Amino acid sequence: MTIGLNAMPKLTIDNRSVEVPPGTKVIAAAEQLGIQIPHFCYHPALGAVGACRVCAVKVLEGSVKGIQMSCMLEARDGMVVSTTDADAVAFRQSVIEWLMLNHPHDCPVCDEGGHCLLQDMTVSGGHGLRRYRGNKRTHRDQYLGPLVQHEMNRCIQCYRCVRYYREFTGYDDLGVMGIGSRVYYGRFEEGVLASPFAGNLIDICPTGVYTDKPSRFKGRRWDFERTPSLCIHCSLGCHMTVSARYREVVRHEARFNPVVNGHFICDRGRFAYPYASSPERPREAQIDGRPVAGQLAVTTAAERLATVAGQHQPAAVAVAGSARCSLETLAVLVRICQEAGWRGPVCFEERRTARAVSTAVGCLTSTLAFSLQAIAAADSVLLAGVDPLHEAPMLALALRQARRKGAVIVVADPRPVNLPFDFQHLPLASAQIGPWLDRLAGDIPESDMPSAAIARRLRESERPVIVAGTDVLSTAAVVQAADLAAALGANGKSAGLCYALPGANAFGAALLAKNPDSLEQVVEAIENGQVKALILVESDLCQRFPDQARLERALAQLDLLVVLDYTASPAVAAAHVFLPTATVYEAGGLFINNEGRVQQALVAMRGGTPISQIGQGDHPPRAFRKDIPGAGPRPAGDLLGDLAAAVIGAPDASEAPSPLAGLAESHPTLAALTAASIPPEGRLVLADDPGRRVLPSADEPNTHAADTGEGLELIWTDRIFGSEPLAALAPALQERQEGDTLFMARGDAAAWELADGDRVVIGPEASPWELAVRVVDNMAAGTIVLPRLPGWQRCGLTRNRVQRDAIRKRS
Amino acid sequence: MLPDEMKTQLEQKIAATDHPRELVVDVIFAMQDHYGYLSDAAVTEAAALVGMTTVEVDELATFYPFIYREPVGRYVIHVCDSVVCWMGGHESLQNHLMQRLGIAMGETTADGLFTLLPVCCIGYCDRAPAILINKKVYGELTPEKLDGIIARLRDEAGA
Amino acid sequence: MMDTPQVLFKNRHVDRIATRDEYEAGGGYEALKRVLAEEARDEVQAAIKEALLLGRGGAAFPMGIKLSTVAEDAPFPRYLVCNADEMEPGTFKDRVLLHTDPHQLIEGMVLAAFAIQAAKGIVFIRPEYENAARILEREVALARKAGYLGEKILGSEFSFDIDVHRSGGRYICGEVTAQLNALMGRRPNPQQPPPYPTESGLWGQPTVLQNVETLCCVPHIVRNGATWFKGLALTEAGAGTKIFPVSGRVNRPGCYELPMGIRLSAIIEEHAGGMLPGSEFKACLPGGASTRFLTREHYDIPMDFASLKEAGHRLGTGAIMVFDHKTCMVAATLNLMEFFTRESCGWCTPCREGLPYIRDMLRRIENGRGEEGFIPILEQMSRQLWNAYCAFAPGAVSPLESLLTFFGDEVREHISARKCPFGNAPGGPSDNR
Repeated sequence: MTIGLNAMPKLTIDNRSVEVPPGTKVIAAAEQLGIQIPHFCYHPALGAVGACRVCAVKVLEGSVKGIQMSCMLEARDGMVVSTTDADAVAFRQSVIEWLMLNHPHDCPVCDEGGHCLLQDMTVSGGHGLRRYRGNKRTHRDQYLGPLVQHEMNRCIQCYRCVRYYREFTGYDDLGVMGIGSRVYYGRFEEGVLASPFAGNLIDICPTGVYTDKPSRFKGRRWDFERTPSLCIHCSLGCHMTVSARYREVVRHEARFNPVVNGHFICDRGRFAYPYASSPERPREAQIDGRPVAGQLAVTTAAERLATVAGQHQPAAVAVAGSARCSLETLAVLVRICQEAGWRGPVCFEERRTARAVSTAVGCLTSTLAFSLQAIAAADSVLLAGVDPLHEAPMLALALRQARRKGAVIVVADPRPVNLPFDFQHLPLASAQIGPWLDRLAGDIPESDMPSAAIARRLRESERPVIVAGTDVLSTAAVVQAADLAAALGANGKSAGLCYALPGANAFGAALLAKNPDSLEQVVEAIENGQVKALILVESDLCQRFPDQARLERALAQLDLLVVLDYTASPAVAAAHVFLPTATVYEAGGLFINNEGRVQQALVAMRGGTPISQIGQGDHPPRAFRKDIPGAGPRPAGDLLGDLAAAVIGAPDASEAPSPLAGLAESHPTLAALTAASIPPEGRLVLADDPGRRVLPSADEPNTHAADTGEGLELIWTDRIFGSEPLAALAPALQERQEGDTLFMARGDAAAWELADGDRVVIGPEASPWELAVRVVDNMAAGTIVLPRLPGWQRCGLTRNRVQRDAIRKRS
Repeated sequence: MLPDEMKTQLEQKIAATDHPRELVVDVIFAMQDHYGYLSDAAVTEAAALVGMTTVEVDELATFYPFIYREPVGRYVIHVCDSVVCWMGGHESLQNHLMQRLGIAMGETTADGLFTLLPVCCIGYCDRAPAILINKKVYGELTPEKLDGIIARLRDEAGA
Repeated sequence: MMDTPQVLFKNRHVDRIATRDEYEAGGGYEALKRVLAEEARDEVQAAIKEALLLGRGGAAFPMGIKLSTVAEDAPFPRYLVCNADEMEPGTFKDRVLLHTDPHQLIEGMVLAAFAIQAAKGIVFIRPEYENAARILEREVALARKAGYLGEKILGSEFSFDIDVHRSGGRYICGEVTAQLNALMGRRPNPQQPPPYPTESGLWGQPTVLQNVETLCCVPHIVRNGATWFKGLALTEAGAGTKIFPVSGRVNRPGCYELPMGIRLSAIIEEHAGGMLPGSEFKACLPGGASTRFLTREHYDIPMDFASLKEAGHRLGTGAIMVFDHKTCMVAATLNLMEFFTRESCGWCTPCREGLPYIRDMLRRIENGRGEEGFIPILEQMSRQLWNAYCAFAPGAVSPLESLLTFFGDEVREHISARKCPFGNAPGGPSDNR
């Protein structure tokens, strides 16, 4: 019998047969049979190195016989393997005993307890009493930053940490020093781990060497309520597991999802949760600053809204959501606006963002949209106007895996983009990128280098991907990116398209929001006296609106400001009526990620003030009550439903059973979408052919025209830590925030007599913003890049260009 | 900081090779010879010269026995303790040295002259028991011969 | 004393190297000149293969087969690495060869490189051999001056040159993949194939790595032929001569070039001057620390690779360390375990943790605090260390395993008497360093 090249080997493990794809290792084949072979150094994301020797099995029939490491051994046809063979069992027991030689008796004080791979393997391997008489080697620990705790005595030298850190994430400040049983994993000197993916060390370490520092000692694993949830701190929608205890979110862990984030998440998402349990979080409804009962606030809001609508017109009431509202919330907002005749909902701060995002969403089709998993398998990637490490960190990690497998990666972006792998950077000005993409899709003369080489490579590759952002690119460029991807995907080739969008549910917001309307236009309408009331629902718009002073003036002009939120933004303080909403932990929700994948976050805990905050040294409180303190916040969708009922009357029995179902007619891709119908891998809601919501631009200024006025083109950019408002509230992540830095190209800096390291001040004397100057060679000339870090909205830079006199050198 | 001439020499050697990493141990030895031991600053300097990170250099420096990451004396005495030198009486030599110099294995004399370290078989088994002092071998040793060597080195250092 | 042909030691002087001129006068570089002129690449490889030249660095892998695994269409550049790391305890033959006749090695390297069309050769030398490194650098320069190294050697199309690379130390660097990692500025952990170094080695290129002594044999094989080389041995299966470094309880420790297959007894009594006065032969390690003890029962064994393998032992490097009746075998084994434990690179669990465990038990046994229960543990672990990541661990437990097999009584006496019967002083409580 001949075995074809692609035939699936069939092997026998513990007397059971399994057929696996060629190249599968025995350990993975066993797992398919439900046989968990003990292992430490092996990890599906890191591959196998055969160092720990714990996965030993006995090969009874095969080209190599005897004790073999199942993680290194490729499954072959006809192989017969035993995991229960006496020699194999005895060997594994010895390996465990050897690993425990130096292991400290830390379980009583170690956070890893209860989810410790070493515990599991040790107990199931039958190791109990220690018969080794020698001393245990000990180590000194290092300070590794605010996120990851280091306790080296527990180390079993599986090498996972350095392999992950250096090979997988591409950062190089963690290494393995020493020799023999003194081998030590750490930095050259103490200090914050540079990788923004360092938190995964916590998940990947099979013992308690690396543990979650902010949640250290908060509780025992088995005391936590653990729930599958989603990260809502960028548009990728990575999967994670929430641990909650005593009404507080205590910890995030990465949750495996093969299509989106694989085994890992970034540090921003991992440590972003403190906002939900912060003492600053507003939990009581308020009318004109006074705490009131929730229901009263709802009826008061409804009355006042009706008054405004009556005095002027329904469209004098404007509604704003945001890209962090769940699909359910957005659905209710859409319904209210439609039925009450209110303006909106708008979900993006600037008109250009609204246009760019909704166009991007319209360009994604089911054939073009690529997941992170698909991007990691690309052989050629072109990034246009996107800075993945800061805008969508796990995208950068997926790109690195593609690079490791040989993909060639080109980035066209005016900003000084940094990525943890080598790539070709073309620092084009943002206005140049669209036309350049257009050229790539057409015929380029060979002399036009490097563009001709880039175009050729894209055409010749088998799985090219175009990745574009929506922060820096014009709407036209967003379309040109899609056109290039479509051109590459002609003739049945597999070509991909991916957009980095501004927010967890930006896709959903773009689908449902009233486009091309934006907060910018609402502010104009307020200034013109057309809008008299504004409802802000879980809206970061105020925290992302570039001109804070202008916004404050506008809000002051309003007759009525109603705010619904779960975090104390400045709008909350200014609201006439405030209604506290539930966080994603308390409400759950559906979110559509940047790929168009609807995913579900489950309810992780009941709302209410964390017990740690009400005890006040007197836990449990002596006064009994029937309600849960601080449980005022309700899911925004429910609150809005009540508001809708008060304003436009209760929904008809004949109407759609749920707000989501009500969208079916206007949004066919969302039809049949209910919470119950979302499978673990999510559900794609893409059109089959391009909708291309390119909006007419006749009356709107093209803010990305090749503007060659005085001064430098201003580019606001997100930074991984500090720009996303919720995550920026986490104390541990604030420590990770970089110092406020502005970036200039060498020639421009020289012309403005600014040097690398200079300290400058921008903004009014009353509230100046101090930054350091970084002069770099890898950015577009004629631009100045400023970070959206706390304080950025007060600096008064509201135009597209910055003049020299806006920047004052600090003496 | 390395003297300019030395730095230039190393830079030229590194520039002449296809693979700078091949030279990292040579660079480390050069720095160690100059500074006396491989300090943290020396690690940083070596890393910059060869285009590696400090932790990558430290990964190597802490692996090899002839790279000293702590200050050592002017003369580093490596006493072979493998089986042939053991048969030849290395223990008594070692004890003699410890007594004469007044230090334990791993320590340096207060005057900064001598450091005592073990080493595995140095390949002079036909002249056991043998030691290395700054990579120079002395074999067929007796306590008297050792005393003579130490005295000569003290003289050399004093001169 | 038996008259034994001196091939590698032909030009040996007492206290200096043989110069380039002396080497040439004795016929050196003739083989190279001829094969270059005749473009006889294949002849070189064929001769080495037919001569049954086995690696003398410890692993005894046939060099001819290794060369043939470099495919004809394998990519360029290719590398030839000479393993002058020589850290196997008891082994000092390569040091002596380097101090005796460096041009012999140089010619061997050029010939081997010619066989696989390698353009660059590297001598990887241990830091303790600083003197030899300097000698080599000087003689390589002289060889280059004479036209035996560099571009288009001796007017042929073949270009080749040699670099001397000093290691930072550590026994594991003697292992081929670890040595290549060390050369590439990485931590010298070994790396299991695939791929094999001859397919993808130094910088991902085809690389052949050979021991100093092995390469020194090559010019002689090419000059005098494979049949001549095989004829030098005293046994049917053996080929060539062997440099035996002899040390320990003998009158004349030193390096002796003797025919393969010469009896152990002859080496000790006729060449190494016999046992020291008052010493009786008890045991020896035949090929470095990573081999099993030979006892009186093996005293007449022919010393070649095949004979030792048949007897369940290993010739390894051929470094003979002789122990006498006054030597405690437990203490000797403990010393060897201390060495291996300290040199373990720390990559895999059995070696990194199993060796300290074994050492701890041996320490206790030697110090009179051993227990009967240790013996089955030692037996089990010495078997299990064969499933470590590389050949270091199996080598490390070879002395131990033979201690238990041949000197089990001695071990049990330590335990029952609660002290070392040979009078070694007890040490302090066992620590794990």
